[in-house]
Amino acid sequence: MSKLKIEDLKKIKEKVHSQTALREGGQRAKVTVHMGTCGIASGAREVLNALMRAIEETNATDVIVTTSGCMGLCSREPLVTVELLGKEPIKYEKMDEMKMRQVFKRHVLEGEIQTPFVLAKGAEVVR
Amino acid sequence: MKSGSSDVLKEFSAEQVEKLDGIIARYRGKPGGLIPVLEEAQMVLDYLPVPVQKRIADGLNLPLAQVYGVVTFYSFFTMKPRGRHTLRVCLGTACYVRGGKSIAENIVKEYKVGEGETTPDRRFTYETVRCLGACGLAPVIVVNENVHGRVKTQKLKSVLDEYQ
Amino acid sequence: MKVFRSHLLVCGGTGCHASGSLAVKKALVDEISGRGLAEEIKIVETGCNGFCAMGPILVVYPEGIIYMNVRTEDVPVLVEEHFIKGRPVERLFYKEPGKEDRIPSMQEIPFFALQDLRVLRNRGLIDPENIEEYIARDGYAGMAKALTEMTPEQIVQEVLKSGLRGRGGAGFPTGLKWQFAQRSPGDVKYVLCNADEGDPGAFMDRSVLEADPHAVLEGMVIAAKAIGSKHGYIYCRAEYPLAIHRLNVALGQAREMGLLGKDILGTGFDFDIEIYQGAGAFVCGEETALMTSIEGKRGMPRPRPPFPAVAGLWAKPSVLNNVETLANIGQIILRGSEWHASVGTEKSKGTKVFALTGDVNNVGLVEVPMGTTLGSIIYDIGGGIPGGKKFKAAQLGGPSGGCIPVEHLNAAVDYEKVAELGAIMGSGGLIVMNEDKCAVDMARFFMEFCKDESCGKCTPCREGTQRMLDILTNICKGKGREGDIELLESMATVIKDSALCGLGQTAPNPVLSTIRYFRKEYEEHIRDKKCRAAVCSALFRSPCQHTCPIGMDIPAYIALIRDDRLEDAYKVMMKTNPFPSVCGRVCDHQCQTKCRRGLLDEPVAIKFLKRYISDNAPRPQVKPVGITRREKIAVVGAGPAGLTCARDLALRGYGVTVFEELPAPGGMLSWGIPSYRLPRAVLDGEIDDIRKLGVEIRCNTRVGREIPWARIDEDFDCVYLAPGAHKSQRLGVEGEDLKGVWGGVEFLRDYNGDEEGWRTGKKSLGSRVAVIGGGNSAIDAARTALRLGAEVTILYRRLREDMPAAAEEILAAEHEGIKIEYLIAPLRVVGSSGRVTGVECLRQKLGDFDSSGRKRPVAIPGSEFTLSVDTVIAAIGQTPDLSFVPAESGVKVNKWSCFDVRDDIPSQTSSAKFFAGGDAVTGPSTVIKAIAAGHGAAEDIDGWIRKKNGEPAWVPPSEEQIHIPFVVDEDTEECPQARMPELEAEFRRKNFAEVELGYKKDQAVKEATRCLRCDAEI
Repeated sequence: MSKLKIEDLKKIKEKVHSQTALREGGQRAKVTVHMGTCGIASGAREVLNALMRAIEETNATDVIVTTSGCMGLCSREPLVTVELLGKEPIKYEKMDEMKMRQVFKRHVLEGEIQTPFVLAKGAEVVR
Repeated sequence: MKSGSSDVLKEFSAEQVEKLDGIIARYRGKPGGLIPVLEEAQMVLDYLPVPVQKRIADGLNLPLAQVYGVVTFYSFFTMKPRGRHTLRVCLGTACYVRGGKSIAENIVKEYKVGEGETTPDRRFTYETVRCLGACGLAPVIVVNENVHGRVKTQKLKSVLDEYQ
Repeated sequence: MKVFRSHLLVCGGTGCHASGSLAVKKALVDEISGRGLAEEIKIVETGCNGFCAMGPILVVYPEGIIYMNVRTEDVPVLVEEHFIKGRPVERLFYKEPGKEDRIPSMQEIPFFALQDLRVLRNRGLIDPENIEEYIARDGYAGMAKALTEMTPEQIVQEVLKSGLRGRGGAGFPTGLKWQFAQRSPGDVKYVLCNADEGDPGAFMDRSVLEADPHAVLEGMVIAAKAIGSKHGYIYCRAEYPLAIHRLNVALGQAREMGLLGKDILGTGFDFDIEIYQGAGAFVCGEETALMTSIEGKRGMPRPRPPFPAVAGLWAKPSVLNNVETLANIGQIILRGSEWHASVGTEKSKGTKVFALTGDVNNVGLVEVPMGTTLGSIIYDIGGGIPGGKKFKAAQLGGPSGGCIPVEHLNAAVDYEKVAELGAIMGSGGLIVMNEDKCAVDMARFFMEFCKDESCGKCTPCREGTQRMLDILTNICKGKGREGDIELLESMATVIKDSALCGLGQTAPNPVLSTIRYFRKEYEEHIRDKKCRAAVCSALFRSPCQHTCPIGMDIPAYIALIRDDRLEDAYKVMMKTNPFPSVCGRVCDHQCQTKCRRGLLDEPVAIKFLKRYISDNAPRPQVKPVGITRREKIAVVGAGPAGLTCARDLALRGYGVTVFEELPAPGGMLSWGIPSYRLPRAVLDGEIDDIRKLGVEIRCNTRVGREIPWARIDEDFDCVYLAPGAHKSQRLGVEGEDLKGVWGGVEFLRDYNGDEEGWRTGKKSLGSRVAVIGGGNSAIDAARTALRLGAEVTILYRRLREDMPAAAEEILAAEHEGIKIEYLIAPLRVVGSSGRVTGVECLRQKLGDFDSSGRKRPVAIPGSEFTLSVDTVIAAIGQTPDLSFVPAESGVKVNKWSCFDVRDDIPSQTSSAKFFAGGDAVTGPSTVIKAIAAGHGAAEDIDGWIRKKNGEPAWVPPSEEQIHIPFVVDEDTEECPQARMPELEAEFRRKNFAEVELGYKKDQAVKEATRCLRCDAEI
């Protein structure tokens, strides 16, 4: 990659926004596994692997999987955020492989929020 | 000097010694290079006995005393080989009466290791501890950071088999 | 084609396989063919249903019933019930994932809503290994601004104006630090990032590095521009491999994009960063030691001056900032200093990240504006203390910091306030401790840490920490001596003043702050060999026995239950407790709160087991004890304290007379506690035993009425005053003197003295009763009123978890149909023609914290409402009635209407021959504490008399030796407490029959087996 100039920062910003935005016909869902040390220690890697396997099994092509850092609530780890096109993101707490499979099949694919595992909906507000 | 020291480094493979020399070469002349050298050397050799320190001192052109001083200062460095896993058996009262003692005896016998020692295959470094405060789970063993509760002698092997 | 009656679909997806569907399927096949149903029911394995977390899943057609979490052991029941009897097994039904459950939004969850994310603004939102996602959230925009639009002086000014102070601990203004380095002459300067986060319980730097590494890099570039540096180091501990990995990825990406290295963003500015791995030495978090370590030497601190801004790394001007400080910089430059200073307190601007750990429900990372109260962090954000335990203190600043106890929950946390309270902000580790933590042990733990981590360069730290640790260890082992506390204090001062670096200077802080707030605990360890948290195990055999105010040998009598030797068990109890069958019913069982079994599942039901013994073994025979002493003792008040003291003194050969105002002995046990909790026959038996010893009890004899004070003074050599606290506190509102307003204890006393009158309707409460208060006597009054046929509402001004009443009592009251209204306080009692018609109330909300750690109720103006009732019972507390004590007696009564007692002899009043104890000294307390007071008083009285006579101390006669069996199971299966059988609520609300029925033998033995035998000595 070539070295950036000041004006490139803005272009990257726009590019990322357009790439990560969910849209009809493109990426329909985004699943974020929160992977700080605490998340990993409580099983986030196994959750991520279960998710990848479930995607493989179903040949889903319209789901973005991404990882991110700690959400701050270590006692509820592993945490997973599911965002469907046009819907508020849903945060699931205390995930394990089985719950991940279930959330993937029933929420990501079929749109039915798996309430018993939900921590909250929406996102944190940054003022 | 290379030929002379290969004798005292005989417990390491030629390949390991070669890697060590490579690390030394990379940091030679670089200010503050000693600690990174020691860190990388320990990754390759598992531990840093005096002959290794001597080789590093010679290679970096530092007094052995400084290398030794640094090795003994930081808890990250060890001069004795440690096992790949640290195995601790709780011998607090609750664990002791619920079979902690027989687990301890079993480890000594089955894994041929004394307290504070490392198994010949470097798989475990074995220690005993006083109450870990997990009495409800007694008897308790801790491998690395993982607490295993209610470990009966019969179950011990299957627990430890997870750690190779 | 074969036709089946039912199809049974077994999920064979990967998830269900993993949770055991194959074994379930096999069990089903066996069960179904075993019962000859193979021709009727077809088992089919299907693909994944998607309910993987609730597997194995079965679906039965044609009904379409879904079963979840089916285990092999469920199979026989399932087949029997569903396929043979046609009754679906509801307990295995699929529960619709809470359709009506409303999902809260992040802003409705206090943990998230109350945080103000600045440093942590990207948490959970970006992929830390993708620089573009950081840029997309305005990353590196602050750096771009600094490099293109600002001079170094402007950068320093902006940071100065923002008020940002070092987040690593000391809180030195960051801008000032930069200004010094900027003004230091020299071509070569360094920017260092301190990521050697080593405090136990601190993990905010790690989290920032893992979640948002570029924020730190951006801050470093800006710092470099400000001071004119070309080279930076991040000193990160080797224990953080993921942080190092992500930093390396971040550095690589930034270099590749030209955001680090030569000619950054084409501005001509050069700066690059190296990562330096710390090798595990806590002292390297100290700035000069860190620099020495990067230089490749033993990481020991250097004396200052020269300060690092003048001569730091390699003797060049250097600035060292910690991770959180640097992560603030980019946003400050981009959004301006005013934005940063818009939150916080006068001297501490911006936000602070805390690592919240320990005994708190929400463990995690918290970013709040400076000045947020400690209580808000722990209770609102942290969700409070788990397991119904009480908050004791929060340790702030790790081994260099101190603790802040419950009385300072309202403290607005900023650098100044925290220092004033004896702690330090530190890097922001906030360890919450509940009542099960010992202050001395905590101090010992941190001192051990500092001793281990002392680098050894300077003597005060090397030797001083060792000496202080020795003293603390001795105290924890019961070998503490008088003067140890003062010695610790003076050593602490020496180390603080003379140690070379921050580690040594701050090492005594945890000791000083625990002495400041918990001096009493130190004294208890040293003088009484007592650890109230039951942590310092060298001081006791078992936590339960140690916690019991009278030291009952609990493990012994529990072991005897297991051995079915109940008579011996009873004898063991009687050694320390004259009222075991009473305590088996109404004790507040503090012993159970420290039971180690509670760490596994639930504490052993010690109280219920005690009752089982007294219910099922004959009471040991009591023989009169001859009077061998010439001194005569009077006891005033025949409650548990007075009777215990009388018994003990009788056993020591004294002639004892007890004076009781009421018609029967027992005190609160007879006159306060209702008979559905404590049947009178039980109590009377135990009081009879005390009479049998030779104690005379004179009822209907109030001192100052039936018998003058002067007579007592004249006729007796020593007097024990234990009249209890039998007067209800007044509500202090208008209308309190109307007819139909009762005090709680007055009502209970009246009922207990005239059951006949109340039951036959001669006396009545009317049909609607309001009880005001939240303690045990409020509940007792309410449950008694209910049994008299009234509709009862309890009004309490706080929340349920704040009620002082026993949780099981509150629950029982609710079961019986008593309504409890929270956050309500009475404003006035209203009436007409002299009788109560209602109570006007005011709703409350919770405000700041009081000294007990509970939130204070605050009236909501305009929320008045009137509850129409016939009777108001005020049970908000009791005070002693000490009006019988003449002023000229020399016995002092304090402002709480309690007896004043001496420090050295804790039961002696200000007049030598008068001793006092029980509720009349402490205010309303528990039965067991009253018994303890009685024991103590007997000891003090006998000791005082003997000392006066020049006699040697009393030697107790040798006791019967009872062998205590020692049987423990190698296997501890998780299993909860055996439940206490109870009368049905519907039945018991109509009468005064005892509610709890007592364990049966099998239940008791099973419960006794749950004891872990912590008392075992090996």
